Amino acid sequence: MTVVGAFCVSVNREVCINSRMPGKCATCAEVCPHGVFALDAYTGEMRIRNYNACVGCRICAEFCPEDAIRINPAESEYIARFPWTLSTVEEIHHKAQTGDYLLRGFGTQQPTPHFDTITVVPSQIASPEPRDKYREECDLEVVIGEDTCEKPLHLKLPFVWPAMSFGALSKEAKMALAIGAAQTGIATNTGEGGLLDEEMWLSRGYVDQNFTKKEWEPGGYLIIQWSTGRWGVSADYVNNGDAVEVKIGQGAKPGMGGHLLGTKVTEEIARVRGIPVGSDALSPCRYYDVQNLEDMKHMVDFLRDVTNYQFPILFKLGPSRPYDDVAACIELGADAISIDGLVGGTGCSPDIVTQGVGIPTIACLPPAVQALKDHGVHRKVKLIALGGIRNGLDAFKAMAMGADAVGFGSAAEIAMGCRVCYACQKGNCPYGITSQKPEMRARLDPIEVGQRLANFIHACAEEVKILTMLSGHNSISDLSTEDLRAMDMNTAALTGLKLAGYDRPLSFWEEGYKPVAMKANGN
Amino acid sequence: MTVINAKAKDLKTISRKLKESLNEEPIEVTNASHLHGLVAGLKHGEVIIQGNAGDYFGVLNAGATIRVTGDVGNYTADNMTSGTIIVEGNAGYGAGQYCYDGAVIIYGDAGDFTATMNKGAVIIVVGNVGDETGTYMLDGDLVVVGDAGENFANFVIRGNVYIGGKWKSLGHNTRVEELTQGDIEKLSVYFQTYDIKSDPVEFKKIVAASEKPFYK
Repeated sequence: MTVVGAFCVSVNREVCINSRMPGKCATCAEVCPHGVFALDAYTGEMRIRNYNACVGCRICAEFCPEDAIRINPAESEYIARFPWTLSTVEEIHHKAQTGDYLLRGFGTQQPTPHFDTITVVPSQIASPEPRDKYREECDLEVVIGEDTCEKPLHLKLPFVWPAMSFGALSKEAKMALAIGAAQTGIATNTGEGGLLDEEMWLSRGYVDQNFTKKEWEPGGYLIIQWSTGRWGVSADYVNNGDAVEVKIGQGAKPGMGGHLLGTKVTEEIARVRGIPVGSDALSPCRYYDVQNLEDMKHMVDFLRDVTNYQFPILFKLGPSRPYDDVAACIELGADAISIDGLVGGTGCSPDIVTQGVGIPTIACLPPAVQALKDHGVHRKVKLIALGGIRNGLDAFKAMAMGADAVGFGSAAEIAMGCRVCYACQKGNCPYGITSQKPEMRARLDPIEVGQRLANFIHACAEEVKILTMLSGHNSISDLSTEDLRAMDMNTAALTGLKLAGYDRPLSFWEEGYKPVAMKANGN
Repeated sequence: MTVINAKAKDLKTISRKLKESLNEEPIEVTNASHLHGLVAGLKHGEVIIQGNAGDYFGVLNAGATIRVTGDVGNYTADNMTSGTIIVEGNAGYGAGQYCYDGAVIIYGDAGDFTATMNKGAVIIVVGNVGDETGTYMLDGDLVVVGDAGENFANFVIRGNVYIGGKWKSLGHNTRVEELTQGDIEKLSVYFQTYDIKSDPVEFKKIVAASEKPFYK
């Protein structure tokens, strides 16, 4: 179960074909993957069988030939009932009936401090002059592992697709991501579910497995994820990419491993992952083969050795204690560090973990940047901000706060066609993104969707360019917190940004972020 | 036979040398106990380590045959996908984790978390194993000739766990079964191949109670 009773399905019976001529139309019942609609076997009349099953994906409304269906959030009618809102009541009933806790996909629904309360400071007469977006150049390239590896990543734009596994996503969605990366010169990521063969050549811009016919310029990169479940990992696997990402945690469920429910484990997924068909693939929360930081250091050593010292090593962190975690990654020799905030997405996670664990993306960045500065490697070891980045504005704000690049995970899914119904774990995605069912997957054309992803990236790149240039810079590496202001006390307190109007940080932030001794283990 | 003396050398140097001389098999490496992640990701060849080896020994092995005459550190044969790793002494914590295929034979004892998330390899420990052995095993065979510690075969999903001695406690999702004729033949072949003196008839077999122990 995901969210129960959160949506209200209403059908306009005056225009509904089925209401006028029972049996003549059953589109809604055919397309709904969650069994909300049912046809009466005798009369052919369409009935709404199960209101609570609706996840709000709106596929029925889109397919309805007469535009007769409306899906509205049920919550708004019940706001006065806080905290006993309809979905809370239904959730308690569900638990009381079944004894199961809730699982959900996509990400958090709770209001979280985010980039919205930060504003961008433009250049005027007293500051460096603004640059001309239309007639001047702006450097958006990011290089990962420039001094440390034989083959650094030259990202044409400061974006990546974060790790989303084959299994959580369909094969077509993974192919679309690879094509999108190839068209824009950014990096795609295998995720922890093993390598899809097509990803190898599509991400580099080739349409054939012999790498002879290059279809998409400039060609992107493939980041190989090394994770706790080690699904489909071999010596060839780590050498098939352009970089290796060591997954420590993720924003939606820090402290837990990847979840892939048995409903999505088809024969192909089972073969790639080496598990029985239909069995849950629950990755361990930690590496069974790492007990301390020294072991992790050896792990990085052998990963570099197996890849012949060619590829950058990245780390991916969940939102926990960013200063200490990032400092540890730097000492382990990371070439780049991804830090995923509370708003980060997931294919499946316990509801409470997605909702209530971790710190917001904007609060992760200042300590992480301070750790890089304290080690003298800020803008050398690259910081990649993940977790709820929606557009070029969010990306710009993250980069001005100190990140070198950002990842669009949830936004990429939406660019692929997702309508955000928070039910990825069910494997019924009507747009074929997070489903393994052939009939759903057939709805997603990798080339068409790959173009959509490339378009989205190009639009975001232009947005970043506009903002970078209007704040007086020619390169994203020149951005700083001076280009931002917090618009309320809460944001200023969380991020240490200058408060708009007051024009200085809150007093306890005056000396910047001060690391505190970690007391995670109570000692 | 090529002999590489690893004394006071770093991993990069030894690893490059190993890859260069891979075709002049077998290769002998000496004084390598300070190196972690040695003989990683080799696709073919035969390597003999004289003496002890460090942690992550034979990690990501993809087809090489590796023999150690002494003891090995933690996480031996981690994530092996093919090949054979033979340890004549003892192994530390977590030997044979995440293996997809191939064989790991440890003639001495092995530590805790041995064969965790084994996905298809044959892992044989002639001595005793520690706690949590065979945790979340997804496929393959684990053969323990000696005794096992606490939480043996915890959350095994698929594959077979054979044990000749006793265990302190069994983990979740396990079921003890009698050996079939096929099991006895398989074990006899293993014992014959690797020259292990034990009688397969006295072994017990532990399999998963369910393939879906987590969510309904």
